[in-house]
Amino acid sequence: MKSRTIKVDYLARVEGEGALLVKIKGNTLADVKLKIFEPPRFFEAFLRGRRYSEAPDITARICGICPIAYQMSAVHAMEDAFDVQVQGPLRELRRLLYCGEWIESHTLHVYMLHAPDFLGFQDAIQLAREHPAVVQRGLKLKKSGNEIVTLLGGREIHPVNVRVGGFYRVPTRKELEPLLEQMKWARDAALETVRWSAQLPFPEFEQDYTFVSLRHPDEYPFNEGRLVSNRGLDISVHDYDDYFTEEQVAHSNALHSVLKPGTPYFVGPLARYSLNFDRLSPVAQEAARSAGLGSECRNPFKSIIVRSVEILQACDEAIRIIEGYQRPDRPDVPIQPGAARGYACTEAPRGTLYHRYRIDESGTIREAKIVPPTSQNQKTIEQDLRHFVAGHLDDSQDELRWRCEQAIRNYDPCISCATHFLKLDIERE
Amino acid sequence: MHEASLMKDLMRKIEGVAREQNASRVLGISVRLGALSHMSASHFREHFAVASRGSVAEGARLRIEVLSDMNDPHALEILLENVEIAE
Ligand SMILES: [Zn+2]
Repeated sequence: MKSRTIKVDYLARVEGEGALLVKIKGNTLADVKLKIFEPPRFFEAFLRGRRYSEAPDITARICGICPIAYQMSAVHAMEDAFDVQVQGPLRELRRLLYCGEWIESHTLHVYMLHAPDFLGFQDAIQLAREHPAVVQRGLKLKKSGNEIVTLLGGREIHPVNVRVGGFYRVPTRKELEPLLEQMKWARDAALETVRWSAQLPFPEFEQDYTFVSLRHPDEYPFNEGRLVSNRGLDISVHDYDDYFTEEQVAHSNALHSVLKPGTPYFVGPLARYSLNFDRLSPVAQEAARSAGLGSECRNPFKSIIVRSVEILQACDEAIRIIEGYQRPDRPDVPIQPGAARGYACTEAPRGTLYHRYRIDESGTIREAKIVPPTSQNQKTIEQDLRHFVAGHLDDSQDELRWRCEQAIRNYDPCISCATHFLKLDIERE
Repeated sequence: MHEASLMKDLMRKIEGVAREQNASRVLGISVRLGALSHMSASHFREHFAVASRGSVAEGARLRIEVLSDMNDPHALEILLENVEIAE
């Protein structure tokens, strides 16, 4: 076959899928509406008719920043359906994988998306020019998380080593050992990250949130626990649908999740931290205290410090797991599929991620429901923006735009990347 | 979500080039990933495999260069350098 090479030199773009509408009447704020692109509906449809065992690979495609969270919610929901317990070293390996994703995702958010704002830089390139060592540290830290995910994820090209019941293959002790040195470096770097982020300038912006997150009897939550809030909620994930509901909102193709009968709530690092401070490792607790945080944090701008504390927590946890690892005899627990329903919540870096499945006798998925953190937080984010923008109505259009973008970057990395391309409409009457 | 949108744009460009050149297939593409682009080579491969499924570029060979210069003005970007087509 004859071939020809065409030179194009084209820069790939992210489409502006998100939009923020700010309406100002006279000198009062009339409305704030956030519109976010949201693919899980498409994936829910795509999962119907597929085998239960395909769910981890399919859901991993939903998000390139938190694929593990989607996989983990899927496998836990399936195991819930088929009444399977994954314990011991397999459970530990799953926690290790989750550590890798937290380190990667939080570091990306902290260094590449969030920090430039506080220092008045346009983007990470400007930050790199002025503070090369800081960005180098961020890149190396992110890479250490990436290495955990690559090692446990298996082959490089198609990292799908996770299955319902465990893994396709588990590493030997020897294979994990090289990670140990790197994770010790990462733990130091994470500690420095906490110190460094704590001295950034923060606006006074304490909000009265309804925090929701998982809570485990003795661990900082990843994959398991009860759903709790700072307003007295304490339920099994099986009862999620009795307490939470999704509302169709006219201005957005996304669904807003609310606590019945219609209360906005907030998931993610601030919620996890504020509801689980006592479950952090001693080193993470101490770092948080010396960074000036209390056992609760209600300023969304300070989520950059909380994320850094969670990176430290993940590094510390990863070291503990690697040091204590004994390779199990088999990489998975056998599964006996049948007609059932399964439920799971896990803590994606950006917040609680709920999956629900209905499976038929043949092991085929009949119904899938995925509620990502974004849709749970959307109402709270709008509320925050309303409070925040109200204090800046006299700013110029450009300044207000910049402030809105900055405020949105407090939340999750998916929105944050999108906000560089966010369509902002400011209507003044 | 970020990647899905990025890949959609990239595929639109690749398919556009194939159409303009009356190519029956895209045999390969070369891309450069900026040092701060949030994408590793393996990450890109995986997403490309999904995005190109069923298109003229399914199975195309990928040449991926990962740049390390953080100060490059395009360090945050992904650049499609060239497209190799079958005639
Ligand atoms: Zn994500």
